[in-house]
Amino acid sequence: MSAVSEAATSSAMRTREATVRRFAVTDMVFRAATRASAILVLVLLGGVAISLIAGSWEALSKFGISFLTTESWNPVTENFGALAPIYGTIVTSAIAIIIAVPIGIGIAVFLTELCPRPLRRPIGIAVELLAGIPSIIYGIWGLFVFAPFLQTTIQPFIIWLFKGIPGLNSLFAGPPYGIGLLTSSLILAIMVLPFITSITKDVFDTVPAVLKESAYGIGCTTWEVTRRVTIPYTRVGIMGGVMLGLGRALGETMAVTFVIGNAHRISASLFAPGTTISATIANEFTEADGNLYTSSLVSLGLILFIITFIILALARYMLLRIDSRTGA
Amino acid sequence: MSTAQSLHQSRKRKNAVMMALCVIAAGIGLAWLALILGALLYKGLSGVSLAVFTQMTPPPGDAGGLLNAIYGSIVMTIIGIVVGTPIGVLAGTYMAEYGRFSRLTTIVRFINDILLSAPSIIVGLFVYELLVRPMGHFSAIAGAIALSILVIPVVVRTTEDMLNLVPNALREAGTAIGAPRWVVIRSVAYRAALSGIVTGILLAIARISGETAPLLFTALNNQFWSSNLNAPMASLPVTIFQFALSPYEEWQQLAWTGALIITLTVLGLSIIARSLTGRREDR
Amino acid sequence: MKPMLSTDLNVADTTVEKAKIEVKNLNFYYGQSKALKDINLSLPERSVTAFIGPSGCGKSTLLRVLNRIYELYPKQSAEGQVLLDGKNILDRSQDLNLLRTKIGMVFQKPTPFPMSIYENIAFGVRLYEKISKAEMDSRVESALKRAALWNEVKDKLNASGQSLSGGQQQRLCIARTVAVKPEVILLDEPASALDPLSTAKIEELIDELQADYTIVIVTHNMQQAARVSRQTAFMYLGELVEFDRTEKIFTSPREKRTQDYITGRFG
Repeated sequence: MSAVSEAATSSAMRTREATVRRFAVTDMVFRAATRASAILVLVLLGGVAISLIAGSWEALSKFGISFLTTESWNPVTENFGALAPIYGTIVTSAIAIIIAVPIGIGIAVFLTELCPRPLRRPIGIAVELLAGIPSIIYGIWGLFVFAPFLQTTIQPFIIWLFKGIPGLNSLFAGPPYGIGLLTSSLILAIMVLPFITSITKDVFDTVPAVLKESAYGIGCTTWEVTRRVTIPYTRVGIMGGVMLGLGRALGETMAVTFVIGNAHRISASLFAPGTTISATIANEFTEADGNLYTSSLVSLGLILFIITFIILALARYMLLRIDSRTGA
Repeated sequence: MSTAQSLHQSRKRKNAVMMALCVIAAGIGLAWLALILGALLYKGLSGVSLAVFTQMTPPPGDAGGLLNAIYGSIVMTIIGIVVGTPIGVLAGTYMAEYGRFSRLTTIVRFINDILLSAPSIIVGLFVYELLVRPMGHFSAIAGAIALSILVIPVVVRTTEDMLNLVPNALREAGTAIGAPRWVVIRSVAYRAALSGIVTGILLAIARISGETAPLLFTALNNQFWSSNLNAPMASLPVTIFQFALSPYEEWQQLAWTGALIITLTVLGLSIIARSLTGRREDR
Repeated sequence: MKPMLSTDLNVADTTVEKAKIEVKNLNFYYGQSKALKDINLSLPERSVTAFIGPSGCGKSTLLRVLNRIYELYPKQSAEGQVLLDGKNILDRSQDLNLLRTKIGMVFQKPTPFPMSIYENIAFGVRLYEKISKAEMDSRVESALKRAALWNEVKDKLNASGQSLSGGQQQRLCIARTVAVKPEVILLDEPASALDPLSTAKIEELIDELQADYTIVIVTHNMQQAARVSRQTAFMYLGELVEFDRTEKIFTSPREKRTQDYITGRFG
């Protein structure tokens, strides 16, 4: 190599070295920015927890554990207890899940086993679009369309049907308002149905084809394959989907606020108006005067946060187990 | 022989019954969608007029439109997206690129998934405590921040997923040519995952454009035109909430029309997002 | 330490040629498991060296040590020395990006970047050089000509790199590597995903490139190694079994394991 080209190469090398140093700095900055953003996600959740605890401090230190066991919710005497909203939240979510799970699994079975191939994608998408509809839409529909329908047809019929049967007659006692716990449960069921369906369908797809084929090979019917192979194989994943749906139902606000009736009491009848944690907050927060009132509402938020956090963490844990199995 | 045959018959019958139930379940699922959309179209369309898009929300009992509410929704959605998207994309980038094998990523993924499905009203309470209480008043900016907190987990999730789908061979090729990691990410990984990341952003827009709960006590509402970010601002969902629960027929009609607008927007965004990446089905 | 007989002999054989890369006592680990065991060899400048051996023998791993691309992944580590022009590239002070501008790499599957044909090549050049549009045009053209691709793509430089056929994509990747003016080119089974015709083109190209570059090629195809390389290293179970002039390896190997492998008794 000649001296001239040696010099040229070495000057090119020097420029490259300068460039490389610049790159290293930019890379460090970019890496730090991405890492900070990732940490911000943790900070957000931490911030939510801390702000809720701080906001609820006044009410919780005044009422203590009795906040959880008191039904009374009286802004005038400033005596607040969370029992009625907690009861309403749990009852509506539980009924919603009981209704939505079998239907959701049914749709998933239909989509994976029965549906003609060209229809699979459109129907699957339609079910998922149902999940994208904002909850306020379900609320307005529930209030103006669904509740009057229940009030004039279904509820009077059920009240008449169970009139003489002890237990059931108080569970379904009149008068038929249309709105109330059961209406909320039904709306919630419709809302969580797409979540449960799409997750169940996804985990059904993880069942190895050979497993199903060998079951069909020994003469099993579609139902027997579903019941004995698909569902046992994906049990954990389905549970995860159900928990995820439950998490949604527990925290769902707007749809319920429209149709629950906002009554701070615990009634035996599912037709009676009630309230949930989120509906109480949505309805009363901006009107709450007095720190104790606001703090009590934030306490409700904290309770909801803790419940949903546990449920969602369990859901993710279960879905993670399914993922790691298919990944392996 | 006959026992075997009758057993076979009963198994077949059971199968037929269960499968029929599954078909009915699917029918129910689709029927709800049809019922809700039908009611929305029926009730909402009758109120659609030019006035909806040109006039302010009226006082009780008057005719009017939704202009200030639509404007408020658009403004807060845009700010929410502009604030939330970069953070979400960067966090997702850390998880799929720099921190792919780190413990931090596992933890962030878990927490992010919880944020993704956490009740949005809790986010409203958080922003109330964080911004509204210290500032002493409700404001559009607080509402937008609440929305951005809902945007972040959606974008984090899709960004990470989409970057994970970019083949490692492509990263190695970029690295092998002497490109530093950030250039590989910017010019190779982002480019390869672009449509997926855009999908995530569209889904985030779809999600927040219908959100009501986090706006109730952050942006509150405003019956008048306001472009002041430091003051309460109207939004479509909160206006729908207020109008639907009112006893006035004009307000209820506007609520239905607003609901139709939101639903069409959300469905449109979801469908565009899905067509960008035909990934969910037929895997 | 057990001396590597083959390396000693090789030094005697290639004394006339300057060593571009010298590997000394190299060990490589995936987590706890040792994937390369005490590798010693020296790669002469401007000449093609082939690494052969059954899959899992460590030939790709060795190649990936030479530009330290393995550092993209955790729990992979190398110890020992790899000297590039006498300087140890495993040294912590070695800048990785700089190293990779000197040692280019082409992969098993073609990896065109998601951008146009032109940009695929300009991308790497632009990283380290500020040159005018006209200069860049001629740089792209000469790189494409070097990779024998120019005539096929000169009318569609703005088309996506991914729209090319597999063989064309691989030559685009070679062009991209050549364009940043490396000193060494590593080829990791560059033709294994290609049809015979494209393979022949790639091999022809390798033959031409060795006038200017030190080339290392990993291949599982022994005929290919015999056709394109001047030296061949046979590896087995993480060890370098034999390293010698290619015709020697294929006609009269010293080791029985080499003999068994090239005659197809295992692998």
